[in-house]
Amino acid sequence: MNVIQATLTGALIGGLYALMAAGLSVTWGVLRIINLAHFGLILIGAYLTFQVATSWHLDPVLTLVVTVPAMFVAGAAIQWLFDRLRLTEFNSLLVSFGLLIITIQVTSNIWSADFRRMSADVNPYATQSVALGRLVFPVTTLVAFGLAALVVLGAHLVLRRTFAGRAMRAIAQDRAVAGAFGVDHRRLSVLLGGVVGATAALAGMVFALSNALTPDTAYEWFGTVFAVVILGGIGEVVGTFAAGILVGVLSGVVSAVWSPAAAPFVLFSAIILALLLRPQGLFAAGGVR
Amino acid sequence: MRRRSLAVIGTALVLGAAAAGCGNGSGSGGDGDKPIVVGSTLSLTGAFAATGQIHKIAGQEFVDRLNANGGLLGRKVEWKVVDDQSDQAKVSQLYERLISQDKVDLILGPYATPNILSAMAVAQRHGYVMPQHSAVLAPQLTYDCQFPAWSIGPTPNSFIPNQLFDAVATLPSPPKKIAVLTSQSGSAAFVSDGFGDDKSGALSIAKERGLDVVADIHYPPTTTDWAPIAAQVRDADPDLIIDNGLGVDAANILQAMAQLNYKPKQMFGLFPAPGPLLALGDEAEGMLSVSMFEPNKPTLDKLGPEATAITADFTKRAEAAKLPYTVFETQAAASWNAWEILTDAVKNSGGTDQRKMCDTLHQKGADTTFSGHLTFDPKAHNFWPTTQSIKQIQNGDWVTVWPADRAAAKLEGPRP
Amino acid sequence: MIRRGGIGLLVAFLVLVAVGAFSDPLGLPSFYLILLGSICFWIAQATSWNILSGYSGYFSFGQAAYVGVGAYTTAVLSGRHGVNFFLTVPLAAVLCGLLALGVGAVAFRLGSLRGEIFALLTLAVPFILAAFARINQSIDGGQGTTVPVPEVPDAFGSLPELQYLLALLIAAIAVAAAYAIQHSRTGSALAAIRDAEDVAEVLGVATFRYKMLAMLISGVLGGVAGSVYALQIGFVTVESVFGLTIPLFVIVMGVLGGRTHWLGPVIGAVLIVTLQDRLSSYGLDAWNSIILGGVLALLVAVSPDGLYARLRARPLVSLGSLVVVGGGLAVLNVWGEFLDWLVVGMLVAALLAIVLGSRWATARLPLGRRARTTAEPVPAEPAIAEPAIADPEPAEAEAGTPGDEPGAVLVECRQVARYFGGVHALEDVTLDIRAGELVGLVGPNGSGKTTLINLLSGAFRPTRGVIRLDGQDITRMAPHKIAHVGMARTYQIPRPFDSMTVRDNVAMAIMFGREPLPLHRARPIAERHLATVALDHLADAHPADLNLHQRQLLEMARAIASSPKVLLLDEALAGLNPAEVDNAVRVVRRIHESGITIVIVEHLLRVLNQLATRLVVLDRGTCLADGEPQTVLNDPAVIRAYLGRQAHV
Repeated sequence: MNVIQATLTGALIGGLYALMAAGLSVTWGVLRIINLAHFGLILIGAYLTFQVATSWHLDPVLTLVVTVPAMFVAGAAIQWLFDRLRLTEFNSLLVSFGLLIITIQVTSNIWSADFRRMSADVNPYATQSVALGRLVFPVTTLVAFGLAALVVLGAHLVLRRTFAGRAMRAIAQDRAVAGAFGVDHRRLSVLLGGVVGATAALAGMVFALSNALTPDTAYEWFGTVFAVVILGGIGEVVGTFAAGILVGVLSGVVSAVWSPAAAPFVLFSAIILALLLRPQGLFAAGGVR
Repeated sequence: MRRRSLAVIGTALVLGAAAAGCGNGSGSGGDGDKPIVVGSTLSLTGAFAATGQIHKIAGQEFVDRLNANGGLLGRKVEWKVVDDQSDQAKVSQLYERLISQDKVDLILGPYATPNILSAMAVAQRHGYVMPQHSAVLAPQLTYDCQFPAWSIGPTPNSFIPNQLFDAVATLPSPPKKIAVLTSQSGSAAFVSDGFGDDKSGALSIAKERGLDVVADIHYPPTTTDWAPIAAQVRDADPDLIIDNGLGVDAANILQAMAQLNYKPKQMFGLFPAPGPLLALGDEAEGMLSVSMFEPNKPTLDKLGPEATAITADFTKRAEAAKLPYTVFETQAAASWNAWEILTDAVKNSGGTDQRKMCDTLHQKGADTTFSGHLTFDPKAHNFWPTTQSIKQIQNGDWVTVWPADRAAAKLEGPRP
Repeated sequence: MIRRGGIGLLVAFLVLVAVGAFSDPLGLPSFYLILLGSICFWIAQATSWNILSGYSGYFSFGQAAYVGVGAYTTAVLSGRHGVNFFLTVPLAAVLCGLLALGVGAVAFRLGSLRGEIFALLTLAVPFILAAFARINQSIDGGQGTTVPVPEVPDAFGSLPELQYLLALLIAAIAVAAAYAIQHSRTGSALAAIRDAEDVAEVLGVATFRYKMLAMLISGVLGGVAGSVYALQIGFVTVESVFGLTIPLFVIVMGVLGGRTHWLGPVIGAVLIVTLQDRLSSYGLDAWNSIILGGVLALLVAVSPDGLYARLRARPLVSLGSLVVVGGGLAVLNVWGEFLDWLVVGMLVAALLAIVLGSRWATARLPLGRRARTTAEPVPAEPAIAEPAIADPEPAEAEAGTPGDEPGAVLVECRQVARYFGGVHALEDVTLDIRAGELVGLVGPNGSGKTTLINLLSGAFRPTRGVIRLDGQDITRMAPHKIAHVGMARTYQIPRPFDSMTVRDNVAMAIMFGREPLPLHRARPIAERHLATVALDHLADAHPADLNLHQRQLLEMARAIASSPKVLLLDEALAGLNPAEVDNAVRVVRRIHESGITIVIVEHLLRVLNQLATRLVVLDRGTCLADGEPQTVLNDPAVIRAYLGRQAHV
């Protein structure tokens, strides 16, 4: 019973991991930028959710009306900057790391380093759940899973069915050739940066729903989120979703049957194995790349 | 190209040698009207930053009040506080700088046990008196001029569980089945597992007392998914959950259990951040924790108007600094104690001679607003008889409930 | 030269030792010792990282693994089991060395693993180790370990002095190792791996071995430095050593300083540590990370190759501004103290070097190396009428007599097949190539020409069949061993080592050839090979400054420099204009005349007709025709399969 419950909540929490990882994966795969600042955007998204919900007494989910456009602009601006600088893959990592530590410090200066948590009257979701017999579906993770599914489905359809999507896949494969066929790489990548920023707003909102915030949380996401990106296959949105679920289930089950302390051990050992057996990612099959 | 590299090294060395010459030029120590400078680091960013802020506000308030009342030995007091970024390696470097470069007159310890241990080594090397607010593991604190401002006695690993079990034993229906959750952090795990060769902790003491430990879960401080832990606890259905964790662990576990539609009968959290638990509202009602001081009205009435003014002023400052939880409680009281130990040492020894200060503290002890008169026994690593209490969330506020002589309200058992 | 560099490092080390040993008489506050010790720790770590990641280009995020294992070894053994501190250090080195070899054996198993995968693989290692330490609480007792102060002779003075001297010693060893590696064969090999790994392998560099060596050295240095770090922090917990801070800062320092040079991480570490110290000293706590992040983003954005390259390009400006600004502030003495002056001086020097080295500045002042070499007129058709310049390498004796008479069988392919999944790229090809031949390999696109070249050079292994070179079975041999037996190749799209001069590109092949020579002896020989392809006038240029034709000539020079018996030319004439083609043909012919057997893949039948002694036609993975060029070209099957589609003969 415990294992079933752990599998279930793990899979649902995997939605949050996927939501955090999707943007990172796409910018890496399509634009060749390892954007650590994405973690900063998620953090700001979470704090904005907290702030807007608390001061305007808005339902936390409705704060997306504010945070999504704000993060879209922020994401697009960062992408515009990266484009101007023409960075290599690894230098993009360093520049975005610089941006990340700036973001964390700014967050700390604005909201203090102490824990921030939406109080129970503002955020009714935190403790709610849907029960199915003994099995329970926490509402926050249902929201995470649902949003992740929407984002993934949307991204998949856009990339497959629209001109912009096909153009992006072309960029991912060969930027020069795509340019020769009239794909405006600059404008598209800024657009993509904006969309990725918007997903950071979603992830931030979901995180704030069920967690206390401190500026330092951003670092704690690194391990799991990168694991999801790699397992899913860089640039593979659908793969990211599957990998998120897998990571959630794996750590949930290991925590339940062995020990929470063993979860990272099993998870990261599994990642090394996966990398060796399928270096292109476990779920890499016809995504953006 | 190689020659250029060498030229670079050469220049660096020349400048380095110049450093040696210049280094001792600054900071000639005369006294007179110059302010007394107190140096310390706090974790204002990084993992310990949540609590570091509280100590900064409390310290600033103390210094302001001290200076408003004429300072120390007629001199103004200045506090030079720097951010150690919660990084142990930085702590020793910064204390070296404060002592040997900035030549501060006095020092205070940083926050969090690993940082305090790093700072203590530097203080010991330079013979500085170091009051410190939060390291409670007596056996590690071997320097005879470190003075703890928060004491859980010489063996906190058995004192805390015993105090808790004593308290809950007075309930109409004392708990029989307990679950012990342990954060694998040096600042918390000793309460479950003991320390070093002394293996007594919540787990062993529970067994000695004939309690049934129905769940024993150790989790890493980096845990993010609490559902598996909550599910295990739910299935074990204990009468009392002991979470020997830090920060938001307890709040996260409570929430995860609430999501599983499970309301624990009674829960204890070792060193939780007080604010997030209150933010949980009804779910956290009845939660227990340890405390050194809570500004409950009966307690404040006993201590007098001075204490009331201090706590009110703190709240005002914390609000101005936009802290989410602005109550003057354990951490702030520990900070206040540390400052009072330091200033008493100066007052009673008549100067800032570190040796004399240290000896004076050993002989005369120190008077504090919130913990009364403290005595320091070097054999017990200066850990004074503890005034630790148990607090509980009652009607959305933390209240001291145990032991009876310090209690502001009665300990409540599980709600039906 | 190298000896002088070594002496310089030794002098620097001794001076710094003296600073530590005589810190009391010098009146040096102990804070300086601690700060210097901290700088030394970061230098050691950043250098350890750089030896692997900077030199070989494999970015590691796993530096915390070495720091953690090193620190834990020392803390647990000395703190909990009473082992002497000085015994734990070599043990830490051994453990980290084994760990590095283990990770390397796993990571490099795939031959050429993608860089980002390696990065994330190393990211996972510290997580696993941290979790392992937490599961097995018996390791550290579950609460972290206090590191006891080791007992040392009084000669070492106080604990800060001891810590400093130890940290300095390790930093010195690390920097000396980095210096020695950079100026050795290993350094050249790692640079070649960074630039183009499989090219290096085909040229004769045992890439796996060198990567493992870099891993090992990096691991040992990181572990030893971690072991001393345990002493510096005094109390070791999982969080304090296995965290993300150390790997991230190590990368920042390495990249900021410049990761292709041994001095780069040193510059990065000094700058970052002193800057952080100054920011915190001025109470800019709330701004510390903002300024640091800003400096990082800015410096990387404007100077992606690192500070060292910019400083080296303008050594006088850099040193001058450091001395003038730092010294000026010191003389004025109106603000700050020594460290402030130093940091301001360093920042001004860095900014000046960057501004002067930026694009618009170099455009205005065409003085640099780049400007000179590109400005030099490149002859469209170099005068190479007389082939007498070159004195070919010993290859000729073994390769048999050049000329029209074919000699002994040199290359044997027996029923060689290669499948990619369901695609049969090559099906049962049997082929003999005799010494002295110049074989043209033709066939429509996708007929298996390049696959055959890749099989012969060892880049792929055949699905079945046997390949022999000069009687030796090379079917399952590593490419670098095949190179040593006597096979060389060029690439259709030239792949030079971008960080090396044209001369050193060629010298690489000699250094790692059958009879390895040191760099300084390889260089003159390289110049002769460059003369053979008429590229000697560009020996000092970098590959980026060459045009396509020149790059292809460079490919050929590099290939013949390994004194091969057989040279495989993969579409060496593709994309050239007619004049360039004629020139290339002359070069190929001259190489052939020097006694090297050649297999050339080419589409231009007109060229092959006059060049080749024999033509082999592949079609859909099988051998369609083989023989005299005239005969083959008149073969009806060939005309149908090949010429029919390629009207422009």
